[in-house]
Amino acid sequence: MSDIIAEINRAVSEAEGRAAAAAAAAEIEAVRIDYLGRNGLFPALSRRMGEIPPELRRAAGGAFNAGRTRIQAAIEAAQQRLASGGEEKDAIDLTLPGRRGAAGRIHPISRTAEECAEIFRRMGFIAVDGPEIEDIYHNFDALNTPMDHPSRDPQDTFYFPDGRILRSQTSPVQIRVMETHTPPVRIVAPGRVFRRDTPDATHGMNFHQIEGLYVDKNVSMADLKSVLQRFAHEMFGPDVRIRLRPHFFPFTEPSVEYDFSCVVCGGKGCNVCKNSGWIEIAGAGMVDPAVFKAVGYDPAVWSGFAFGLGIERLAMLRHRIPDLRLLYENDVRFLRQF
Amino acid sequence: MNISRKWLSDYVALTCDDAALCHKLTMAGIEVEKVETVSVVPAGVIAAKILSREAHPNSDHLSVCQVFDGRENLQIVCGAPNCDAGQIVPLAPVGTVFSTPEGEFKIKKSKLRGVESCGMMCSAEELGISDDNSGLMILDPSVAPGTPLETLFPGDTRMELEVTPNRPDWLSVWGIARDVSCLLGTEAKLPEISVKESSEEPRPDLVTVEAPDLCHRYIGRVIRGVKVGPSPAWMVERLESVGLRSINNIVDVTNFVLMELGQPLHAFDLEKLEGQRVVARRAAAGEKITTLDGKTLDLCEDNLVIADARKPVALAGVMGGEYSGVGENTTSILLESAVFQPSNIRSTSRRLGISSDSSYRFERGVDYDMAETASIRAAQLILAVAGGRLEGKALDVTSGRPEEAVIPCRFDNIRRLIGSRVSDERIVEIFRTLHLKVDDVTPSGCTVTAPLFRRDLSREADLVEEVARIDGLDNIPEIPVCGKCCHPESEDAWMPLQKLRAAVAGLGFCECVHYSIGSAANFLTDTRFSESDLVKLDNPLSPEMAVMRPSLLGGLLGAVERNIARGSKTLALFELDRVFCADRSKFPEERNELALILTGLRHPERYSAELKESFDFYDLKGTLESLFELLNISNYRFAALEGDGRFRPGHACSIVIEGKTAGAFGELKKELTSSWRTVYPVFASQIEAGALLQAARRAAAKYKPAAQYPATARDIAFVASSGLTCGEIIEFVRRKKLPDLESVRLFDIFEDDALREKHQKSLAFTLTFRNAARTLKDDEVNASVERLRGALAAELKVELR
Repeated sequence: MSDIIAEINRAVSEAEGRAAAAAAAAEIEAVRIDYLGRNGLFPALSRRMGEIPPELRRAAGGAFNAGRTRIQAAIEAAQQRLASGGEEKDAIDLTLPGRRGAAGRIHPISRTAEECAEIFRRMGFIAVDGPEIEDIYHNFDALNTPMDHPSRDPQDTFYFPDGRILRSQTSPVQIRVMETHTPPVRIVAPGRVFRRDTPDATHGMNFHQIEGLYVDKNVSMADLKSVLQRFAHEMFGPDVRIRLRPHFFPFTEPSVEYDFSCVVCGGKGCNVCKNSGWIEIAGAGMVDPAVFKAVGYDPAVWSGFAFGLGIERLAMLRHRIPDLRLLYENDVRFLRQF
Repeated sequence: MNISRKWLSDYVALTCDDAALCHKLTMAGIEVEKVETVSVVPAGVIAAKILSREAHPNSDHLSVCQVFDGRENLQIVCGAPNCDAGQIVPLAPVGTVFSTPEGEFKIKKSKLRGVESCGMMCSAEELGISDDNSGLMILDPSVAPGTPLETLFPGDTRMELEVTPNRPDWLSVWGIARDVSCLLGTEAKLPEISVKESSEEPRPDLVTVEAPDLCHRYIGRVIRGVKVGPSPAWMVERLESVGLRSINNIVDVTNFVLMELGQPLHAFDLEKLEGQRVVARRAAAGEKITTLDGKTLDLCEDNLVIADARKPVALAGVMGGEYSGVGENTTSILLESAVFQPSNIRSTSRRLGISSDSSYRFERGVDYDMAETASIRAAQLILAVAGGRLEGKALDVTSGRPEEAVIPCRFDNIRRLIGSRVSDERIVEIFRTLHLKVDDVTPSGCTVTAPLFRRDLSREADLVEEVARIDGLDNIPEIPVCGKCCHPESEDAWMPLQKLRAAVAGLGFCECVHYSIGSAANFLTDTRFSESDLVKLDNPLSPEMAVMRPSLLGGLLGAVERNIARGSKTLALFELDRVFCADRSKFPEERNELALILTGLRHPERYSAELKESFDFYDLKGTLESLFELLNISNYRFAALEGDGRFRPGHACSIVIEGKTAGAFGELKKELTSSWRTVYPVFASQIEAGALLQAARRAAAKYKPAAQYPATARDIAFVASSGLTCGEIIEFVRRKKLPDLESVRLFDIFEDDALREKHQKSLAFTLTFRNAARTLKDDEVNASVERLRGALAAELKVELR
């Protein structure tokens, strides 16, 4: 009587093979009809069960049920396979290049300036603008620059025949804002500034700065520290350490320079930080009383801080650009990297 | 300025190592830019053992020694009387380089009176360790042969300091020592400075100050009977430790005191001074002087000179004259210690292009009181190292001691500006350790008197810095900024520009940034401008870098040319930045412009037929249309632009925004691009950024409900004269005001040789009709289309298809 079991097993493997090979829904349906359909093999086998001696009927019944379940499963698997669209004969070449939309880029200088402005914007600093052709008063006099200060020299600053200059710093924007607004004032001024330097790896005839100014009651160096600290962390990540060093600028007192731990080596010392572990980032300080006097603010009531950052320097550090001139060459192979 | 650790430790006990000292200095505002080790003994000198000594066969004072240098035995001929077998002595092997005032010399293998010698055994003087030149330096017998002498006589540490211009008092070892004492809490002390003067009054005409406005103080002192010669080793070592070279004992003393006390001094050979006197006066026009470094300078009345009875003998505060300097035969000197007006020294130094350690200090301001101390110190040292005697008292010609600044100071104000809780007591302590005089201490404040070496202190704000600096900037807490948003009436000036940048970059263009200074020739490629429109610099770096750009075009053309030369022929570039124009009828002096450049392949990264498509006029036009759409600007139009020298005739439009011409675009004229190695035409656009941003800001999109009823479309095709533009046809259709016409869209344009011959082209348009309230009936649409077809044939003379 084992031939009925053998017959069942043979039919199951045959049905499974046909279901696996089926390439269309009709072929799968044919498998179902041939084996499980009303006139198919399994109903026929079922009818023959009565002929089997009772002692063998249990084993044959088990094989019958298992076989029917397997065929059912094979049919379902085949249907799923077809529904998910597998192995279609007309599959496309997936490796052909994609059709790209045009992808432009923002220059690393603009990008860095915007990131700075955005960080300060979140701290309540609004970005303002000022002229690049500036007068001596706003660029030097009102900023407490001594009359014989070297930066006034035509050796260092570009002059026009009418005595005006190309601004050598973004600081005159401070003056223009304070002249026209009463405190509190909290601004940044990103923009281009000019120095009479022959272009080399770290100098250019012009570069970009972002100036910051915050004047209110009781503004202190502690506020300055926290603003620059937060800037450092947002710009270069939470691992960056910072330090203030006393310095000198005519328009701030006290004056400081602001260093970040080297973003390249993490402070261990490398050629970028000249093995000091620190990178000079900003000049800053408390607005000098002489500057307040020039704009008519009372230093007994108001206090404030100002800072200036070099955009190119930040961009070069962020993107590890070794030479300032690359920023002004505008080679698309460079521009497309950012 | 350079300083050395050993020199510094002459005045203040250094209780920390070099690294800690450098850190403290830097954090106190004296930035240490470089640290290097200065060796005392020449590199390569080692200890060696004399194994034997024999008399030289051909000399009665030389001896021939066998010496063990730790590795091998060498034969060395030696002239020292004290050399003997068994001694451990310094040996300079072959190749050792010695630096002397006369120059460098190198130890070579040589023969001395016929006997070979492989090196030199040295005296303490030869090594610069002491003045002892009586014979070989005998080292401790326990020193192993081969030991480098540097380890026995360790070198010094030289620190290069960046001194800010407000602190001339830091331009001396003593000045640094004063601050170091404050930082380390140890005492700073000068050596005893005194000299025994005779009571004899000086000759009153020894010093005359004719320009007291430029020369505030002049102390002249005569020393006779000096013997010019080499300086003692200790002084040479100190000078070399800060990078100065020894010249002779008199000049070295002046340099030593300059470095020690920060007061520049000058020594004249008194015998060479006409009338044995000096006059501090303005130079006469046409006067000349030849300085120590051999340069002859033309002087003017703004230059202060030190003259003798006849002629200038020094450029005051900057450099001495060649003729009157101290030489080896000098026996009498006039020692000058003076205070000159800083800005005059600076302008003289700058104008004549000549600077020195003296001018560097004078132009920052020297200490009035120190001039006297330094004069005494120098006299004391000259008598010690060059002999001689003082002739009478010093003659001190002065216009009076300046007043010291008296600064009232409120403790609360200091805390307010620093933002820390530094105590009253600490504030007073800081002032006192800085050698400031503190009086009238009350619970609310005190009065500080700044000594003359601290002329930078005149206001309370200056004292705030001292407290912040010495108490430590690290001790200031960080207080997060909060409070009301300031400046409410103004808009963020940067954000709109940045949004415009992002929009243009989003359309596939790469931003360029060029210098805004360049050459007229380059900038005048933008033919809107002529020479008189250019804003010209008075002091350009070069003729190629002499004018402000009136246009971004020149810079971008340069970038395109460079990129093409480097093989990048497909370029979509833009620049958004400031341009300048002298003619204010054209535009205000400065304004922002946007410029775009487009050339090359439309789809360089694609394949098959698409690869061959190159950009044309309509790509740039479409870019601009997309840009306006992104910016929500609808009130604009493009008008045919004739006679613009930038563009190929018939291939350019002006851009009119809100009724005003705001820019142009088109294909660049061939002559602008013909030299470039590219086959592709180049398209460019220029738009005034302000017009774009203003229009963009005004236009906020208004909601329109999406159509509820279906549209009905009809195509219409015809052959028209080739002169008839698409725009004219669409305008014609619009003017017919067909009911419910929603849009007219060109979907085909075709020309073949047959049509071209007849100056014709074939056009096909889709007309879309839609009513907002109902579905349109075919009949009514057909009637409209028929009416239009009739009008097109009759009025535009087209052949309907």
